[in-house]
Amino acid sequence: MSGVLSFAARRALQVVPLLLIVSLLIFALVHAAPGGPLSLYLDNPNVRPEDIERLRGQMGLDQPLPAQYVAWLRAFVAGDWGYSYADGRPVMDRLLERVPATLQLVGISTLVAVIAAIVVGLLSSAHRGFDRATTIAAVAGISLPVFWLGLVLQLVFSNALGWLPSSGRSSFGGTDWLDRVAHLVLPATVLAAAHAAAWSRYLRTSMQQALREPFITGARSRGVSERRIITRHALRNALLPFVTVVLLDASMMASGAVVTESVFAWPGVGGLFTEALAKRDYTVLMAFLMCGSVAVAVLNLVADVAVHALDPRTRGES
Amino acid sequence: MKRLLWGAALALAACSKGAGRTGASNDLLIVGYDREPDTMNRYATHILEDIQSCVIEGLVTTDERMDAIPVLAAELPSLANGGVVLRPDGGMDVIWKLRPGVTWHDGHSHTSADVKFTADAMIKGDWKPESTDGFDRISSVETPDSLTAVVHYKEVYAPYLMQFLRGTLPKHLLEGRDIDKATDYNRSPMGTGPYRVAEWKTGEYVLLEKAPNYWRGTETPKINRILFRFLSNTTTRINQLKAGEVHLVPLVPWDKVRELKAVPSVRLNQVLGNGYEHVTLNQRHFPPFADLRVRRALAHAIDRELLVRTILDGLVTTVNGPIQPLSWAYEPKVATYAFDPAKAKALLDDAGWTIGADGIRMKGGRPLSFTIITQAGFAIRENVAQALQKQFKDIGVATQVKLLDGTSISPVWFSGEFDAMLHWWQQGADPEITTFFAADKIPPAGRNIDYLDDAQLTKLLYASDRTVDRAQRRELLRQVQIRVAELVPELFLYNTSKIDAVPATLTGFKGNPSNAGPFWNVHEWNLTSAEP
Amino acid sequence: MIAMPRAGRRTAQVAATGLVLLVFLAVLAPYVAPYGVDTIDLAHRRAAPSPLHWFGTDELGRDVLTRVLFGARISLAIGLVSAALSAAIGVTVGAMAGYFGGATDAFLMRATDAMLSVPRLPLLMIAAAVLAPGVPLLIVLVGAAGWMETARVVRAEVQSITTRDFVAAARALGGTATRVLLRHVVPGVVPTAAVSMTLAVGRGILLESALSFFGVGVQPPAASWGNMLYQAQTTMSSEPWLALFPGAFIFGTVLCCNVLGDSPSVGSRDPRTGV
Repeated sequence: MSGVLSFAARRALQVVPLLLIVSLLIFALVHAAPGGPLSLYLDNPNVRPEDIERLRGQMGLDQPLPAQYVAWLRAFVAGDWGYSYADGRPVMDRLLERVPATLQLVGISTLVAVIAAIVVGLLSSAHRGFDRATTIAAVAGISLPVFWLGLVLQLVFSNALGWLPSSGRSSFGGTDWLDRVAHLVLPATVLAAAHAAAWSRYLRTSMQQALREPFITGARSRGVSERRIITRHALRNALLPFVTVVLLDASMMASGAVVTESVFAWPGVGGLFTEALAKRDYTVLMAFLMCGSVAVAVLNLVADVAVHALDPRTRGES
Repeated sequence: MKRLLWGAALALAACSKGAGRTGASNDLLIVGYDREPDTMNRYATHILEDIQSCVIEGLVTTDERMDAIPVLAAELPSLANGGVVLRPDGGMDVIWKLRPGVTWHDGHSHTSADVKFTADAMIKGDWKPESTDGFDRISSVETPDSLTAVVHYKEVYAPYLMQFLRGTLPKHLLEGRDIDKATDYNRSPMGTGPYRVAEWKTGEYVLLEKAPNYWRGTETPKINRILFRFLSNTTTRINQLKAGEVHLVPLVPWDKVRELKAVPSVRLNQVLGNGYEHVTLNQRHFPPFADLRVRRALAHAIDRELLVRTILDGLVTTVNGPIQPLSWAYEPKVATYAFDPAKAKALLDDAGWTIGADGIRMKGGRPLSFTIITQAGFAIRENVAQALQKQFKDIGVATQVKLLDGTSISPVWFSGEFDAMLHWWQQGADPEITTFFAADKIPPAGRNIDYLDDAQLTKLLYASDRTVDRAQRRELLRQVQIRVAELVPELFLYNTSKIDAVPATLTGFKGNPSNAGPFWNVHEWNLTSAEP
Repeated sequence: MIAMPRAGRRTAQVAATGLVLLVFLAVLAPYVAPYGVDTIDLAHRRAAPSPLHWFGTDELGRDVLTRVLFGARISLAIGLVSAALSAAIGVTVGAMAGYFGGATDAFLMRATDAMLSVPRLPLLMIAAAVLAPGVPLLIVLVGAAGWMETARVVRAEVQSITTRDFVAAARALGGTATRVLLRHVVPGVVPTAAVSMTLAVGRGILLESALSFFGVGVQPPAASWGNMLYQAQTTMSSEPWLALFPGAFIFGTVLCCNVLGDSPSVGSRDPRTGV
């Protein structure tokens, strides 16, 4: 067990330089903007040149870039993420208040995608004909532009058929769970689709590998039923790498959430991002990217450690 | 198992069919709004004040014909009723008589002290008001009694009536505080209006509820709650309106109107706008525009009627000048430039621009070729820009279209770094246009981004600003409009008419051409019966 | 590891043919397109698909088929060139990391991990918004955001190749690192890199469409599949063909790329799209 802990600590240490690189990248990007973070204020004819100079000083923009970077990073780590240019409220407040909606959407989508991937993965490793069909369907699912799928589903299920609400997280005053679920169906489907496709393909491949392992052949020769072999033996073996893949795809989920939340007016962090992008609200954009990267890095770390801890081969070493 | 899932989905669909689609009623009206406010403080917000205007009332507002009407003021001050006094020193005094019996939502009386507090806060400007227009010309405010505020102007200021359109700041709440940081006020402002903020759920909605003891009487307003849902995506907004998830959408983009015409639960209310779409010709950045013949040729090259009939679906009307037909100062008899490519070509020939090898006109080795910038994200504008590109090409003028997003276009026009720009100005109800055309009003002083420099026009503009008598001012502004049309400093296209989609059962809705917004008379709205 | 089934090979042939045909049409667009790409015909705007206009016309009466064909030039160019760029960066980084190992490897892989942990689409959206790129810069941005997967698989491949005898021999004979890399190692990773690049083409096209969909990609009046969708989204319910055809072309093209690249030999990971 101590082996796992030291492994986790070692990997956690490696995340630090990684995040430093990320922060440098993000900082450089935002400061490449023509006019810099202050260009927004030019919009307002009432902001005088001397005001701009004053703001420049206040925000430390008259400092050399490396000094600005260090100051920004220090403040960021200390939890001082600055204020949104758009409404003057602390960036952290703006992000945090939208986190639950995003977690809900991403969580449900992941769950849906995982279940779909397991069902499809199991069926396609059991039936050859089904496998052919799902292979095509899965590659198709990966190839669909997310926003296009969203628009088409909206058009069909909400506008044409009127079955589901087209957007939002709930109707106003709609406290019952049915209303919330109805609002979730389309965005969760869209966000889950591509992942379900990719993950089912992955699971199928690792199942097929597992099915060729000696212990499966052994089980078969002992007369264990095929259904039992697939669900008990092969699936159990294929599940661990599958879970790590799910965790490693967190970055993709983040990208997908930005698109999905925008199409379905979902009041989450992704929606805040597109809004902040339109307003060039740099403090919000930087905080969003940093948080997204940290979340992804942490989930990847968890995946690594999980593999290390649960893999019988590495476990044997420690 | 698959069948089971499908059955569950159907059951869910059946149950949710009615969810969130209650018709509009006097209990709840749901508005699909295109953006979330930055602050509820009317003086600080950078967006239209629709939500705020339900909570905070001005001393005056402007109605659907753009006429000023008193709200918290008992009457409109004018020279005739002694409310405006021209001082011998060249300044002027405006005497505001406040409506008695008006209280803030917390029961405090609304008094002249609030007017003075507001003006002082704006003059001091130690916070971030959106604009200090007019306040910068006020020297002081006196309050002889609790219902009279005398505003001393340093100079004659013709648009004085609109000075307190955005209302007053509550002195008893804000005195001695940093207004920028008064989050309580900025999120849920103290007003005198028919509604107050019940809840602001960031990213989702603002819910307004009927304010107690509204000064117009307990029968008003009739609608108990108004919910503003933030739906920045136009398609989403319109889809929700069609589905009945929202009931009212202000300012429907013209290209969405035809989709809504067939929706029985929706009525489209159209008023003329107080803005005009036009092409600014930046004479400083692209010197050929300084030649009057070139500007006139471009004006003759545009088939505005065709643009209006097709791209605009006939929903707007062409205009020939900056002051719009609803204004009391509007002058229809000005020079116009009919679609006439032959005349356009002749004018360019005359100006020395001759057709070059590639069909583009040249003069002194330089092509008549410029870039039109416009804001990205507006399908109509992108389409109009491309249609103009084609029509200019027909007379041998090359253009490039460049789309810039809303934030990056501002520094560009503000610094004058563009040739031509397709856009519109939303103007105040007062017909002051000095800031757009006076020679000294080039940025950063004003918004003369045509960089027009005409001494006669500048003189007329300033004279009209310093004339309070309406008949005299109208005559001056008539001459202004004639001069502007002669000079054609920008290519006038069409009036930006305003179309609001409202529930078919809503009565009392009148719309509004100006920034006062369609909610100006929300206290009169009534939903006669809920839809089935 | 697993041989492709016969049907899979046939599917791959169909996909390859489809892609080649599309590239062909794109290159020949000025000759095969029935109308001019910017020919505005306000009298026949928003026309539904008909024998005259197979894919209908748009808000300005321009022929949608023509614009889809011209859009293919930009969308495919972005997909193909950015993928080539990604492959170049990815192979360089991966080969260096795998060949030199040690500190070089550690540094390059940290950088790769760092790039992988930034959510790709938001990063690109900010970059595109900040830089307001033309098509060439857009290609660079998309390419620069997509090399990490290639770098990883190439590194693994190189690590396995360098342990083989002929490379060890070449090194022992005193070949310079560059020479050994170029002569012996890089040729060995070509199949892997090719597959990885095929997937990157699809990813690049999807990224372009997403960027344009958010209004920060290719700007009108130039046509790309993504910005055609961006313009069509407001009229989805009244003129669905405006969104249907560009969307179908994006889907079809990416599908072809993914079918071609969908070989289990790519490595343990499945093709992942960018969007």
